[in-house]
Amino acid sequence: MNRGRHAALDVIVVAGLVLYVTPLLWQVVTSLTPDAAIAAGGWPGALVLDHYRVVLARSPMPRALVNSAAVAVIATTLAAGLGILAAYPLARRLLPGRRLIMLAVVLSTAFPAIATVAPLYLIVRALGLRDTWAALVLADASFALPLMIWLLVGFLRELPPALEEAAFVDGAGRVATLRHVILPALAPGAAAAALLTFLFTWNEFLFAYTFTATEASRTAPVALALFPGVFEVPWGDIAAASILASLPPIAIVVLLQRHLVRGLLAGSLKD
Amino acid sequence: MPGERDPLPALLREFERLHPGITVQSEPLPWTADVQHQFFVINLEGRSSGFDVLMLDIIWVPEFARAGWILDLSDRFDAAARAEHFPSTIDAARLDQRVWAVPWVMNVGLLYYRRDLLERHGFAPPKSYEELARQALVVRGAGDVRDGFLWQGKQYEGLVVNVLESMWALGTDVLGPDGALLPDAARAANALAERRRFITAGVSPALVTAADEEVSRREFGAGRAAFLRNWPYGLALFDAPGSPVRGRVDIAPLPGGGALGGAHLAINAATPHPAAAWDLVRFLTRPEAQRRIADAVGLHPTRPALFESPALLAIFRGARARPVTPWYQTLSATLQPELSAAITGVKPPARALDDARHRLHYLLAR
Amino acid sequence: MIARGERRFGFLLAAPALIVLAGVTLYPVAHVLVLSLQRRVPIFGIADWVGAANYGFLARDPAFWNAARVTLTFVVASVALELVLGVAVALALQRQHRWRAVAVALLLLPWCLPGVVTARTFEWIYHPTGILARAAAGLVGAGSTNWLGDPALALGAVVAADVWRTMPFVALLCYARLLGIPAEVYEAATVDGAGGIATVRAITLPLLAPVLLMVALFRTLDALRAFDLMFVLTGGGPAATTETLAVFAYRSLFQTLQLGYGAAVSTVVFVLVGATAALYLAAAGRAEARR
Repeated sequence: MNRGRHAALDVIVVAGLVLYVTPLLWQVVTSLTPDAAIAAGGWPGALVLDHYRVVLARSPMPRALVNSAAVAVIATTLAAGLGILAAYPLARRLLPGRRLIMLAVVLSTAFPAIATVAPLYLIVRALGLRDTWAALVLADASFALPLMIWLLVGFLRELPPALEEAAFVDGAGRVATLRHVILPALAPGAAAAALLTFLFTWNEFLFAYTFTATEASRTAPVALALFPGVFEVPWGDIAAASILASLPPIAIVVLLQRHLVRGLLAGSLKD
Repeated sequence: MPGERDPLPALLREFERLHPGITVQSEPLPWTADVQHQFFVINLEGRSSGFDVLMLDIIWVPEFARAGWILDLSDRFDAAARAEHFPSTIDAARLDQRVWAVPWVMNVGLLYYRRDLLERHGFAPPKSYEELARQALVVRGAGDVRDGFLWQGKQYEGLVVNVLESMWALGTDVLGPDGALLPDAARAANALAERRRFITAGVSPALVTAADEEVSRREFGAGRAAFLRNWPYGLALFDAPGSPVRGRVDIAPLPGGGALGGAHLAINAATPHPAAAWDLVRFLTRPEAQRRIADAVGLHPTRPALFESPALLAIFRGARARPVTPWYQTLSATLQPELSAAITGVKPPARALDDARHRLHYLLAR
Repeated sequence: MIARGERRFGFLLAAPALIVLAGVTLYPVAHVLVLSLQRRVPIFGIADWVGAANYGFLARDPAFWNAARVTLTFVVASVALELVLGVAVALALQRQHRWRAVAVALLLLPWCLPGVVTARTFEWIYHPTGILARAAAGLVGAGSTNWLGDPALALGAVVAADVWRTMPFVALLCYARLLGIPAEVYEAATVDGAGGIATVRAITLPLLAPVLLMVALFRTLDALRAFDLMFVLTGGGPAATTETLAVFAYRSLFQTLQLGYGAAVSTVVFVLVGATAALYLAAAGRAEARR
């Protein structure tokens, strides 16, 4: 194949992907279209920022974005911290019944959220945590923690045992080795895993929908699902809110793509 | 509560001025009834005292009363005060002969029609759904409009409301006076079949099966239909400057009566400030406040004395409540998919109602 | 052999995570099982033991079987479409020379969005009087196409939205696997005179098979639990044609507030998901053994 054909195909593939993303682009355009044009159903004449202004100034969205960020960061940090601690013994065969535990961890990701939402709700209620970030962090841990452990075990297995053996030879204990040798080496993999976990917790809907009752703790996806409209459905505002709720995931995909993909692939090229 | 012309903040500030030492915070909830209900349930089930005064959709009052979440207001809200409101709104707030909420705003299902089109064909507003169907077909056949009769047939609470209105027009209901389910199943099935026929005969377009209040309102407001069943909020929108149907829309009562909608104010049983809460409730439901809210947002007061138009007053007097039972949500949630199946032709109406009844018997253990 | 000191060390490290995990997964699952044996309506304070009555009713409940049917249809249609499209896109990406990062970024955009955003986007696209409906209707000659209100179309519309957002995941994984195939393999095929499509069939697909199997598993498990898309788009309607088991369970739990019955449905979903995972692991284990 000659260079020209290569270039042409490259363009076609990218163009095809742009076409594929049209629904999202449509939302972006709608978010910039004035209400009158939306109602008329034609093409927008001018593009305006009104919807974003309304959403940022007068809707529950800003608060919801803060809630989402807090819950996602806290849940990811918690999952990462506990996950690293648990993944190390599992990867380095320091636990009896290791295989069984890994199986249990994997299977726990298979639990449908719908199966756990009712009892989790009762737990949350009993602990007096309804309508708090803590409730969501706890609920998100049910999938964030297994995911983290799964990915981190994978990354740890990629690290050659020679790394630790060298440290032991130098007289370092297990803990010190962990801190000064393993963690730095694990950092890129852990970062990839954290990005993936952050993405999933940001997007989480079922638990957030069920456990939150007021704006105090509602996350962005829930706020979007419940977007206030009196009788009229404010499509333009909803579109703007949708884009805002999608910014962190989009940022991760566009800017941190390589790390994210690393995380995705690590989770899958197993067995 | 609604957006820009919202009178509520002003009213709340006024209340605060009259009651120094009290600050009132209001939290708007999304307008979708199903969803609001869920959040109240989740919150109140935990006996939270996060809020003192609640705005409740009229159909939730008996359920919340039975669950023990709201205060019995029968003593504070005495007979004299009650008499100032429409009796149907008071009845909807009753459980076990006690009254649990104060009517705040009111809605009733009514029929919008294009006066110009009916006049052109020499029709008077229809008195029965049959007549409505006939008129719709004639007007549509003459090519004046694309659609005949628009209503809400999406699978949600609105569908139950619409079908109930058909049932009432045929003289039956979902719950009998003694609480029996579908006392006259055959007649109920006829009512449901009638709605299905609207679609198959071309009286209503296929899109009603995905239509809620707003979708149907917009189509009618764009001049594409002859009849619309909706709540009263549409009138102001249809007569607004720039509306394609300005000056050409009139309202009439629905055959059999329109469904009662609206909201009541109730007091959280776990509130630490019952007296202040009651003051706020009384303040927000007094005539002046109700009138301001009505003027601003197209909801209506619950006090007959505030109605200026005799036609509208008559329509509101004819409002009928949906079944007043603590089990209404279960009833509605179970009926919705069955009614949807019937109007989309997936199931015959009689079987749809039978399936619903079968499930309800199990769920309600009757 | 694990030294005693090491074992304690291992336990200490892993304990917090495992305790939390047990707390938020094992305990609720046990609780659901117990709940499914009761008739529990918390708001009215009803809590009675009914044993297997919920399951008995479930077995006879047409609404449950409808949900099961809808879920099965959704799973098969979604996964099949995703696999086919995903492989096609992966093959296209493999031949990409420039702008790969751009292509991958574009590809991942639909996948990374919150489900609610996708639902709202498609809600707008599928609006009964929107551009798409009118365009489609123009082709068919009707007034407008009622995507979300027509029981024959609604599930398909939901499947389309789901495929749109999950195909990138499949494509990416296949693409990664394709990258790992050494060029010599293809060169050998060309030397033998094989053409493009034959190469794909004979070489690429078999090499992709393990990845496809694993992806099919992930996607099946996800699709069995499908909730947010159809919940927001159609609420399970019209006529419950988009009511998957998860939506059905949710409706029972939180709309009709029948916690016991809802728990029974959830248990069934859980068993289905577990059985699917177990079947796969067994099959994968056997394939591993053969290799």
